[in-house]
Amino acid sequence: MKGASMNKAPLSEAPEKKGSMSVNSAKENPRKESPREDAFLGIDVGSISTKGVVTNAHNDILCSEYIWTEGDPIGAVKRLLRSLEARFDAERYRIVATGATGSARKLVGSIVGATIVKNEITAHAVGTISKHPEVRTILEIGGQDSKIILIENGVAVDYAMNTLCAAGTGAFLSSQARRLGIEVEEIGDYALRSKHPTPIAARCTVFAESDLVHKIQMGHPREDIIAGVCQAVAANYLNNVGKGKKIAGPIVFQGGVSKNRGVVAAFERALDQPIIVDEIGHLMGALGMAILARRAEARSPFDFRIEDMEFHTREVSCGRCTNNCEIICVYRDNKLIDSWGNRCERGQLRHEAS
Amino acid sequence: MKENEPRKIAFPRYAEYNCAIKYILEQGLGAKCIVPPKLTRRTLELGARYSPDYACTPFKTLLGSMIECLEAGADTLMMVYGLCKLGYYGELEEQILRDLGYEFDFLNLAVYDTGKKRDFLKAAKFVNPRFSIRKLALAAMDAFRMAEYLDEVTGELYQNCGFQVRPGGYEAAYQTFLNALYAADTKAEIEVAHQAVKRAFLEIPIEKPVRPLRVGIVGEFYTAMDEFSNLEVEKKLSGMGVEIHRWMTVTNRMIHYPGEKNLNVKIRDLSQYEMGPTSTANIWAARQYAERGFDGLMHIKSANCTPEIDVMPALQAIAQQNRIPILFLTFDSQSSDTGLMTRLEAFYDMIQMRRKVIQ
Repeated sequence: MKGASMNKAPLSEAPEKKGSMSVNSAKENPRKESPREDAFLGIDVGSISTKGVVTNAHNDILCSEYIWTEGDPIGAVKRLLRSLEARFDAERYRIVATGATGSARKLVGSIVGATIVKNEITAHAVGTISKHPEVRTILEIGGQDSKIILIENGVAVDYAMNTLCAAGTGAFLSSQARRLGIEVEEIGDYALRSKHPTPIAARCTVFAESDLVHKIQMGHPREDIIAGVCQAVAANYLNNVGKGKKIAGPIVFQGGVSKNRGVVAAFERALDQPIIVDEIGHLMGALGMAILARRAEARSPFDFRIEDMEFHTREVSCGRCTNNCEIICVYRDNKLIDSWGNRCERGQLRHEAS
Repeated sequence: MKENEPRKIAFPRYAEYNCAIKYILEQGLGAKCIVPPKLTRRTLELGARYSPDYACTPFKTLLGSMIECLEAGADTLMMVYGLCKLGYYGELEEQILRDLGYEFDFLNLAVYDTGKKRDFLKAAKFVNPRFSIRKLALAAMDAFRMAEYLDEVTGELYQNCGFQVRPGGYEAAYQTFLNALYAADTKAEIEVAHQAVKRAFLEIPIEKPVRPLRVGIVGEFYTAMDEFSNLEVEKKLSGMGVEIHRWMTVTNRMIHYPGEKNLNVKIRDLSQYEMGPTSTANIWAARQYAERGFDGLMHIKSANCTPEIDVMPALQAIAQQNRIPILFLTFDSQSSDTGLMTRLEAFYDMIQMRRKVIQ
């Protein structure tokens, strides 16, 4: 896959070697025992949450997990794997390929020795199309990003993603919930109780907050304000990433914010169409990666043992010119296994991959 | 500046066009040209620190580069003008630099744009009071030729470098070519450099499919061309195995421009009049690419670039009429490489998967 920057020379050595290390231990077993079925692991590490899915060759989900990233992608992946391992039927299946996506895909990809590393847009499109083959539009709002993917005949034909601004994403909803003193999970129920949503100016998150404070001081009921916030999120989305895009049904809405029934209702009203929210919508990126890992040719048996290995990262400022590239170095048990971030060969590091 | 000594004059970094500017100043006007250092994050930080926040990103980059030129020993700065806010940028940048306490002479070409072409000779006189018109005209012609070669070779680079069998060959030949242009003092040296790079390109083995993925880039006059400002978007995308076409170059817009009227004929349903320095050309180019069956369009602009924001609805319409994906990218001083890579990878995956279904 040319698109995956992971697989490019000259830094590509590390993850492959990592994979070949686990080959030895994993290959011994299947020779002795009866052959196990192939399974595929997809991991999606986002800014807020970390998702993992194991599928069989027919894209059926064998086990899945959804936890908070809590600003520690390495720790989150370890917790994720521990929990997946507990539910994984190692007698019957063996994981032969692993895919990583999400904003921490590169780091996680080199830690787990992923056979494929892809951006979250492709992963989400592939995952969603596998569950909803007829889908035409995917709306997605995550913790810090929002995107729209247009699909025709089961293939993505256009997409957009927020660039300079993250107003109207999950982070906005949670900060407003905090201000109003309610849990972010309760927002939806509050919003649905409202009869007259309060208009909130939501172009900028900070100003939305001042507008919201103003409306609170004016005595608007809490339900109406929350419903107004939900509508503002939908309006902001349609005016930003959705601008100029032809939104055709069926529409699937996913990402963390899709769990908020208030925003779903706001979208249904704004688009005048039913919105499909899949109950495993939060897993679509991870599912897409498992599918992409199956489709790709690369195979490298995955070993849950990495839970017990020690990983850490270090940021180095190159300093060889005034651009001062920030180079990220990943260490496994104090050995440098991967690095990236340099813009020219002056910042290239040599790996002592095991 | 001492009497009888040539001015040490600098024009802020503008992609690689500084080689042509250097040639005119040195060969045509007998000045000494300070070539600004390559743009780095420090340049942009310097510029952003002293710029109004809502100026477009090129303003900040140019200001930062001017400061670096002064640090490199320039005693005179030069600035061009254009049909957007750029017309006012020279004046503003001069004031900011003077307020910061820098001492320099400032050649703002906007001042000489009086409607009479001969008034530009006064600008030449400013650089060198004893300049020769004949020398200037000859040098300008050579410099135009140099810029044409530069655009031609850069275009060829990004159409092919994604398909080379061993990575690095095209880039190395291109760098040699650039070095030769910056060092060139005569027309013959320019021609030799051009022939050498063409020959070098021909010798690099490439494996290109009969119908490679093709993406057409349109966008703002500075950000679309300057690889530092657009985070090397052309290099990144072509490296995935894409043929990249970009009509918008300095020579196409300034020398070979077919004229707003001629271009507008083809896009009258979308735009009735010119909305800025490059809007008609960009809409026209995007339609060309779409009608020629390209796999995707990409629009590149800096944050706060008003004319290019006006172009976007027309590009959306072209994308819908021709059913071609379009990616809008906005760059500012905070743009991150990671975010760009995510969008480019997704764009590549999309046009590649789409191609499989369409064919």
